[in-house]
Amino acid sequence: MYGVPLAAYLALGLFMFTTGVVGVIIRRNPIVIFMCVELMLNAVNLTFLAFARYQFAPPVAISAENGHITGQAVMGGQAMVVFVMAVAAAEVAVGLGIIMAIFRLRKEIDIDDMNLLKG
Amino acid sequence: MVNGDLIWGVLGLPLVGAILLGLLGPTLQKSIGKRGVGAISTVVVFVAFILGLLINSQLVGATQKAWVVTGPDWIAIMGLRIPFESVIDPLSMTMVLIVTGIGALIHLYSTGYMAEERDYSRFFAYLNLFIVAMLVLVLGNSLPLLFIGWEGVGLCSYLLIGFWYQDRANVKAANKAFIVNRIGDWSLMMGMFLIAVLMVQNASKFPDTRIFSFDNVIPVLGEILKGNPGMATAIALLLFGGAAGKSAQFPLYVWLPDAMAGPTPVSALIHAATMVTSGVVLLNRFNVVFQYSPTASAIVCVVGAFTALFAALIAFGQTDIKKVLAYSTVSQLGFMFIGVGAGGYWTGMFHVTTHAFFKALLFLGSGAVIHAMAHDQDMRNYGQLRKYLPITFATMAIGWISIIAIIPGLGGAGSKEEVIGYALANNHAQINGVPLGQIAGWTALGVAFLTAMYMTRMFFLTFLGNKERWRDIATSHSHETDDHHHALDNLHQPHEVPFSMSIPLVVLALLSVAGGYLMMQGNTFEHWIQTNQIEVLGELKHEVPNLLAYSLIAAWAGLAVAGATYIKGLPASEGFDLAKWSPFRKAAGNQFGFDAAVDTLFNEGGDGLAVALNEGDHLVVDGAVNGSASGAAILGSFVGRIQTGFIRLYALFMLIGGVGIVGWFIYVLNSGGIK
Repeated sequence: MYGVPLAAYLALGLFMFTTGVVGVIIRRNPIVIFMCVELMLNAVNLTFLAFARYQFAPPVAISAENGHITGQAVMGGQAMVVFVMAVAAAEVAVGLGIIMAIFRLRKEIDIDDMNLLKG
Repeated sequence: MVNGDLIWGVLGLPLVGAILLGLLGPTLQKSIGKRGVGAISTVVVFVAFILGLLINSQLVGATQKAWVVTGPDWIAIMGLRIPFESVIDPLSMTMVLIVTGIGALIHLYSTGYMAEERDYSRFFAYLNLFIVAMLVLVLGNSLPLLFIGWEGVGLCSYLLIGFWYQDRANVKAANKAFIVNRIGDWSLMMGMFLIAVLMVQNASKFPDTRIFSFDNVIPVLGEILKGNPGMATAIALLLFGGAAGKSAQFPLYVWLPDAMAGPTPVSALIHAATMVTSGVVLLNRFNVVFQYSPTASAIVCVVGAFTALFAALIAFGQTDIKKVLAYSTVSQLGFMFIGVGAGGYWTGMFHVTTHAFFKALLFLGSGAVIHAMAHDQDMRNYGQLRKYLPITFATMAIGWISIIAIIPGLGGAGSKEEVIGYALANNHAQINGVPLGQIAGWTALGVAFLTAMYMTRMFFLTFLGNKERWRDIATSHSHETDDHHHALDNLHQPHEVPFSMSIPLVVLALLSVAGGYLMMQGNTFEHWIQTNQIEVLGELKHEVPNLLAYSLIAAWAGLAVAGATYIKGLPASEGFDLAKWSPFRKAAGNQFGFDAAVDTLFNEGGDGLAVALNEGDHLVVDGAVNGSASGAAILGSFVGRIQTGFIRLYALFMLIGGVGIVGWFIYVLNSGGIK
């Protein structure tokens, strides 16, 4: 179980998050932007879970046989992930609703054309 | 002293009349007729006069000559009590007798003069209300009560000047009177407030909490002002400002000539005999203030003298018989103020009394003439009226002799002489040693000459002369329609007035002759009025050698000059052709431009001020509001450029911000955490 080191999870999370950020900034289709946002959220989730897996409540002991850390597990990270997933679901519902409304109104959904708040 | 309570009857009866006629007037006029309405109105004032006489006879016999009759409380709060109370002393009772006595006569006269008036009951309701207000003014024993009366007579004056309200000119005259009086009333109120402040500061000196009542105020005021001449001058000038408004002194006289727009009995009662003298009453009531302020007294003298001279000169250019009398009233009021300013407070009241007799007589006589001449008031259309109006002629002759003072002791001669005597003989009224009182006295002597001239002009043009000048007017068509209110024309036959109008004339003529003479005997009036005053100055010198001779020369000279001019009738230089008028007379005819100048100054000046303020409003107030708005807009147009409307740019900014915050935290944590 501890075959995969923490750094690998973090590297994957970082990659996914960066992909998401770049996607949000450079893409013009709101659907894709949404997917990128989901990507960023899931990168965060992954990071949460990875840290949670390696975290224990004190006192912490390290096994003399195989160097594994043992102790009382803390479930905070997992709890956060459930929250994030709930928020992400709600956000998708609202966000897709907005996109649909804009599409009905303007027949096209290029994000760069949505500039009514231009100063 | 129980009978002092009769004063409530004096005050109450005209009030009942006013309320009765005011509320039920038209109904009463239908049920009991005009005669009934007039009778109610006249009888209440006459009975009030009888009650006043009863009180007065007791006051004459009493040793203590200042009674206070207290009624229910009006205002009672901690440390201050203002009851309804009347002061009964020689000053107030003199005025009460003038107001009710002459008032009753004028009510009687009005029943005849206004007989053809549709709004008969309204007129008498106002007239009774005026009597009440004037009585409150002279009888009220405290500053607030005096002020109620003061404003009350102003209101009645306004209502009666504008009695024929369907004529725009009358309404304007009424407004003018009311508005000009506002200026004087402001000054009076300031003076009253100043006194009130002094009284409140010295509340500990009073025996009780009636700290605005005259019997308490006057002694304390004397005590305070003894060491404070500046304060005395300030109060005196403010009070005089009020008096100048009500008593038509320069420059606030402008309303009185216009007030002649009212019915003639009103001019006689309000604008000659009673209301316009209330300024003199006020200054007499507060004479202690003037005794402590020679400066203010000098100013009173100068203003009085200038008013007397100015109004007398204007009278020469007037063709309207009532206007001549109006300016004569202004001029005579100036005499009263000269007397008051010179320290002869009782002489002011003396002249008020004699003037009330003969000027009411002259006004009622002019009313009779106007009545007889189809309401034409232009003296140029009169002439030889003695043939048609014998009673009016005889009584007005007495009024004329009284005012020009050609017979020693008769009518106004005594009072006028006393006024001039005080002004010439003593040095109370002076500023920095300049004897302004004496200058005023000499001016008054000159004005006595002018008075004789312009009054003789009026009298001769009206009653004497060589022809009946209205015979020159072309026949008007109104005769054909048998209209009672026809215009004056060559077919007009003047008719003597009814008894209701001639009786007051005769009574007033008798009073004019006898009044001045009797009151002079043994200095009766002087001792009467002076019994109740705080003596600061002591007995002032008022004997001038040869004064009688000077006065008589002035009067007879005026009579002679004017008589020679007008005995033959209207000179061509004063006829209907204004081009033939001398420049002086033309200038006098329009008040030497003063009225027009005041009009221009306040109308156009007021307009200009309003326009300037409007500009200021646009510039400053609107400028500030609009400026802040456009300032915000300009700022917004710069800041607004950040909002590109380019959503992906916003996201980039968010990224940079997020990275920046996280980077900063990492930096801080690495450098040892937040301390």
